[in-house]
Amino acid sequence: MRRVIVLGLLYLLMQAVLPLGEGTAAALVLMAFGFLILGAYSVGELAASIRLPKIVGYLVAGLAVGPAALNFVSEPVMKQLAPVSQLAIALIAFLAGAELQLDEVRERGKLLLKLMTAELTVSFIGIVVVLVSLHGFLPALEGAPVTEVLGFSILFASVAVVHSPAVTMALLSESGAKGVVARTTLGVVLLADVAVVLSFSGALALVRFLVPPTGGAEIGVLSVVWEIGGAILVGALLGAVVALYLRFIRRELFIFAILVAFFGSELARVVHVETLLTLLMAGFVAENAGGGGGEQLRHAMERAGAPIFVVFFALAGAQIKPDAVMTLWPLAVPLVLVRAFGIWAGSQIGARWAKAEPEAGRYMWMGLISQAGVAIGLASVMASVYPQRGEELQTLFLATLTVNQTLGPIMFRLALLRSGEIPPDGASRGPTSGGH
Amino acid sequence: MSASLVLIIVVATAYLATHLLYEWLAKRLLIVSGAEYLVLGVLLGPQVTGVIPVEAAESFGPIIVLGIGWIGLTVGMQFYIPRLVRISALTFRLAVVESLATLTIVGGALWWALPRLGLTSEFWAIVPALALAGIAVASTPAGLDIALRDRKRREPVVNQLETSLGVNAFVAIVVSGLLFAWVHRAPVNAMRPPTPTEWAVITVGVGVLGGTLFHLFLGEERQVDRLVVSLGGAVILASGAAAYLNVSPVLATLVIGIVLVNTSRGRDELRTVLASAERPFYYVLLLLAGLSWRPTTSWTVIAVILLYLVTRTTTKVFGTRVTTAWNGATPQLGRDWGKALIGQGRLTVALALDYARRPELPIGDVVFTAALASVLLTEFAAARLVRAALLPIVEPLRDLAQRLPWMDEETGEHPVGTAAEPGEVFTPDAKGASTLLGPATPDDEERR
Repeated sequence: MRRVIVLGLLYLLMQAVLPLGEGTAAALVLMAFGFLILGAYSVGELAASIRLPKIVGYLVAGLAVGPAALNFVSEPVMKQLAPVSQLAIALIAFLAGAELQLDEVRERGKLLLKLMTAELTVSFIGIVVVLVSLHGFLPALEGAPVTEVLGFSILFASVAVVHSPAVTMALLSESGAKGVVARTTLGVVLLADVAVVLSFSGALALVRFLVPPTGGAEIGVLSVVWEIGGAILVGALLGAVVALYLRFIRRELFIFAILVAFFGSELARVVHVETLLTLLMAGFVAENAGGGGGEQLRHAMERAGAPIFVVFFALAGAQIKPDAVMTLWPLAVPLVLVRAFGIWAGSQIGARWAKAEPEAGRYMWMGLISQAGVAIGLASVMASVYPQRGEELQTLFLATLTVNQTLGPIMFRLALLRSGEIPPDGASRGPTSGGH
Repeated sequence: MSASLVLIIVVATAYLATHLLYEWLAKRLLIVSGAEYLVLGVLLGPQVTGVIPVEAAESFGPIIVLGIGWIGLTVGMQFYIPRLVRISALTFRLAVVESLATLTIVGGALWWALPRLGLTSEFWAIVPALALAGIAVASTPAGLDIALRDRKRREPVVNQLETSLGVNAFVAIVVSGLLFAWVHRAPVNAMRPPTPTEWAVITVGVGVLGGTLFHLFLGEERQVDRLVVSLGGAVILASGAAAYLNVSPVLATLVIGIVLVNTSRGRDELRTVLASAERPFYYVLLLLAGLSWRPTTSWTVIAVILLYLVTRTTTKVFGTRVTTAWNGATPQLGRDWGKALIGQGRLTVALALDYARRPELPIGDVVFTAALASVLLTEFAAARLVRAALLPIVEPLRDLAQRLPWMDEETGEHPVGTAAEPGEVFTPDAKGASTLLGPATPDDEERR
């Protein structure tokens, strides 16, 4: 609480001196960046003290200082801070990949694949059905032909089924949970991320065929193939280089961690491959071929990335649009409920099909509610290909994401508590964000 | 290939190469690493190959401000008052006189020369002259670190050098900060533009208030992982606020550092966090400085560089010699300890960048070029210069230790429990060598 008061004083101090300044936009961005780190960190600590996940605190802090409330972190500032989010995504993806042990993939790969297939399929169908049924509430689809309604519903559902590796990793790192529910949820989330990128590309190609875009960005089939295949290739190469470094040098890991994430993210952007997949692959290769140095690198990454993760989640919070939820609630609320039901039902089916552990079948679905990161990116692609309808679908998606993003971390923590994988006193092992 | 990608590759390669090869060389040949990044920056920048274009170099502005702020905070963390009060008055006197002598002589010479070389008007010459004089006061501590190779020594000359390095950094930053307050542009939106004194107060106020609030914010926090987050946020916020107000980020963060080190219980952990990022920041600053540097062959600029180097070196070497002799301290400190202050490094680069990034100040390019030329010419040799200054004093002490078997051969100190008198440090020779070890300090008491 003391920190929140100090933060309030800092905010008042800044408001007092702002009229004296006429510095560059870069200076303002730097100031906002610093304030966001301190603000989100403080609210995260406050959230932890009332047994909520710290991520919820970060999101709330972002919402408070973002355009929806105080507007200290305005839209232009958020755009300027976009590289921070990219870096955070790169770090998260690398860490997620590094969590995957080759032995575990061999041992549990089929089980995870079955679980993922079942829960993604059921929630996908549920979302398509709801959107087709209630499309009248969305002005862009009102009165549109059935094929168009179906096409855009499929496109929307291919984005809306996505989960959040960032939140999952963050909570697992914060709580230190390593049990069946934790491992199964993480595995499904990571696999689903790859599957969603692939299915979104397929859905986009289908919708393009059904409703050719006018004035939107052109994306060829080959480029989609390259985006996925290239990511695996580039990621494997990057991971091999990191593994060599870990085997033979293994020094200055703090700086090396940041450089790897920056380099991987920039490389993916330059060669037009999927960033998340590239870094995921790099992390996987580095961990499994790094001669035991992977854990040290992971710890260095968690430490180096701690302020970046805090800002990443705060920026995600700043993107939350309460007004969009208010406007589109007749559609957003059923979509959220159906998605949650679809995840639950799919998880039950998947758990029986895969003969998973009972705890996994019972609690895993609660860890799959969160949404962030790649989902926002995919929604942006949708809006860029279909500037008018896509943008409206993007707003609808952000409205559902607002609810999922707020409830998701709370649900996942509850799942870990109920399954006994974290102690009931809520003690977390890590630093603020620990690492994600 | 994108500019950012090139920069990342360059920083990564250069940084790792430094560790693999250069650190090895530094230990054996006593070379301080750093200036090579400056050269690399020039080579990659728009002036030579153009691999990184002007716009890309300019987009790294926030990193420069953050790097400057980080260095200010690191300097501020040296001023722990309970330790400072244990330093003798003579040591402080010598350090302050050396700093002010350098400031006055370099500043005076440049104030006289700049208008005569046709670089500025008589009226404006004081600004770059004072900026360069402030920069001239700063010396790099890297030479001392490498020369001593992490071995703690307790000779007075080492104490003197450490104190002088701290005082020099303090004077350099304060002069620079006050200068920016003095020539501050009036803000467009303010009802009444603040006076220079008010700007100076605002700069220090940002530091004091920031330091106090951050102290309250950090509380009893001792975990390094958590401190990374909060300290990172604090430096970014304070540097950004100072940059937004167009005052000196390095002075504001210096004050924050002083407040934090004297109020926080976790000062050692704070230092650990700061130290972990200081060197990479410095290398990035050097690289960015190299990118934005426009070296010139104009004879007037070369004349300024020569004047700066000659007056600075002369004052550091001969000024300290005269002052030391005047105070009767030559037997303890030797004649050449000023040589150890010739090397310039991270603070010089930070202050020069801070001046050059302000378009409203005159001849930023010239000030920047003179400062960077000094870093290029002196930093490599900083450790050798320190050794040259220390050897005449430290080696006889070591010889003495070898002749007296009850002294520790490596450190030149007596073994624990063999003090001559309680409360006194071992005194092998009442006339000369006794003063080499200096008066007993609480640390000595603890060791006994």
